[in-house]
Amino acid sequence: MSTIGRNGRDGTTLAALRAAEVRVGYGERAVLDGLELDIAPGTVTAVVGPNGSGKSTLLKTLARLLRPDAGAVFLDGAEIASLPTAAVARRLAVLPQGPTAPGGLTVGELVEQGRYPHAGPLRMLRMQDHEAIRTALALTDMTTYAARPLDGLSGGERQRAWIALALAQDTPTLLLDEPTTFLDIGHQLEVLDLIRRLNRERGLTIVLVLHDLNQAARYAERLVVLDRGRVVADGAPQDVLTTALLAEVFGVRARILADPESGAPLCLPYAVVGRD
Amino acid sequence: MEGRVITRATGRAAGPTTGFALLPRSAGARRFPAFLAGVGALVIALAALHIGLGTVRIVPGEVAAALLGRAADPVHRQIVWELRLPRTLIALVAGAMLGLAGALLQAITRNPLASPSLTGVSAGGVLAVVAWLSFAPAGLAAAGVLPLLALAGGLTTITLVYALSWQGGSDPTRLALSGILVGAICSAITLILLVLDAQRIGSVLRWIIGSVNGRVWVHWEILWPWALAALPLGLLSAGAANALGLGDATAAGLGQRPERARAALLFVAALLTAGAVAVVGAIGFIGLIGPHLARRLVGDDARRAFPLSAVVAAAILLAADVVAQALTLEFPFGDATRRAGLPVGALTALLGAPFFLYLMLREER
Repeated sequence: MSTIGRNGRDGTTLAALRAAEVRVGYGERAVLDGLELDIAPGTVTAVVGPNGSGKSTLLKTLARLLRPDAGAVFLDGAEIASLPTAAVARRLAVLPQGPTAPGGLTVGELVEQGRYPHAGPLRMLRMQDHEAIRTALALTDMTTYAARPLDGLSGGERQRAWIALALAQDTPTLLLDEPTTFLDIGHQLEVLDLIRRLNRERGLTIVLVLHDLNQAARYAERLVVLDRGRVVADGAPQDVLTTALLAEVFGVRARILADPESGAPLCLPYAVVGRD
Repeated sequence: MEGRVITRATGRAAGPTTGFALLPRSAGARRFPAFLAGVGALVIALAALHIGLGTVRIVPGEVAAALLGRAADPVHRQIVWELRLPRTLIALVAGAMLGLAGALLQAITRNPLASPSLTGVSAGGVLAVVAWLSFAPAGLAAAGVLPLLALAGGLTTITLVYALSWQGGSDPTRLALSGILVGAICSAITLILLVLDAQRIGSVLRWIIGSVNGRVWVHWEILWPWALAALPLGLLSAGAANALGLGDATAAGLGQRPERARAALLFVAALLTAGAVAVVGAIGFIGLIGPHLARRLVGDDARRAFPLSAVVAAAILLAADVVAQALTLEFPFGDATRRAGLPVGALTALLGAPFFLYLMLREER
């Protein structure tokens, strides 16, 4: 799939998000090392990789939750670190992994927090705020849950509520860190279908970290494979998911078939080869 | 894919919207005005009762008459205006400050067990007072100095607690832990000073236990400016507390700076605590139980829980002191005995804890 994007003045594609030579480290150890990544507007990109490859760190860095030691992240062409934090929050929403909230908070109250960067704290909600909240609840099918406390919800419902929070921010770009973790398979598909719908119907630029390669291949038009803090493969799922890559990066021998439903590559790992 | 640029999120509903409508409100939101008004009315009733209680008992009708300047007995009018009204106002406002401080701290630390005593602010304030009474030259222990000392001690402690919990960033759990540790150290030093200088126990005890006895207009003069500054600040930080309550990552994603917000909210909680402790001493428990009750009534949204915490805590402190004053006892006081109300701090936990336990058990069933 080609990347359709807004064109910069010099005719090049202006990335919604761009990481340029990003290095992030915890102490001596570099988690991301000279990482380069461009995210075209209106695309769904899945970041995959083995445990500890730097997926979450990359997402946090893109969302300016982590400041890189070297290099920079650009949001719509502007260096993200130089933008006011509320201005970033109006253009970029992020759903961290395993978020928590006070259990007595209702879905409506949670989603309302998405208006934080739009209205100042304690400022009354204006009409467009109410509208954004209603839209976010409707898109996630949570309207009827608005008055329910979070601790009475199932895992899938709670995750939809959190996605609604990010949607209420009304940003063109959405970053999600393993949004399907801890969900059963039905709820996983529900969340992924929602993400796809948000991209197709509302044109959101979406970057998500996923653990499940097959889901990533099916729902994202682009896979970015991280290993030891570097991008080792990047492209359309059918180009990226090869037996060689699975052996080298994930340490498994696998058969790769075409998904009879979607045509996306489907990997069936059958043996561990181990990694150096 | 050609439509994607045009249809980027605009905040409008996907389907046709039928005008502007409010979302269904939560049970807590619907109940909030009634609870606020109800507890507010309770506070007023308790205040009327409270003014009448003490060594000289005055019936509520006479209290009202005295307040309006029409009391039959001029002595009653004098007692009500000179002694009782400031005492009641101080109990009410100090209770509200401790309740709001507790609500803020529970939100900041994301810990339902947090309370003003947990941050070490109370203990630090008391230590400053006791140290002054032990070491300062005699004659300097004027009533006006002690509250300011309590304030200085409390604010110094919170700064220390925050600095100790800092490890390249603050963290709610580390913050609570260092608060407990610093508070314990302050309390231990206070006890050692008391043991070394046992004669002063009488004058110091009411700071440690917490009491509104003998609090008059001089003390009100110290309290009200702090209350006027810190209570609105605390109530206004509800929006920031809500965002912070979703975790640092989510809060940062929403455009907040979590470190800065936490430090600011902690400082406001310390102002509230120190201001109250400065005048009534380290009254325990109401800063814990007030916010709990409030959240139980109206939910976790700080914009409702914060104001209700303040009002509920004020009601609890007044109610506890009504009981304390009703139990006026003979106290050995130096060589003589004196009739005085119990220090309210001795009762807040005694009355509050069983009630709290009852609520918890009822919830379990």
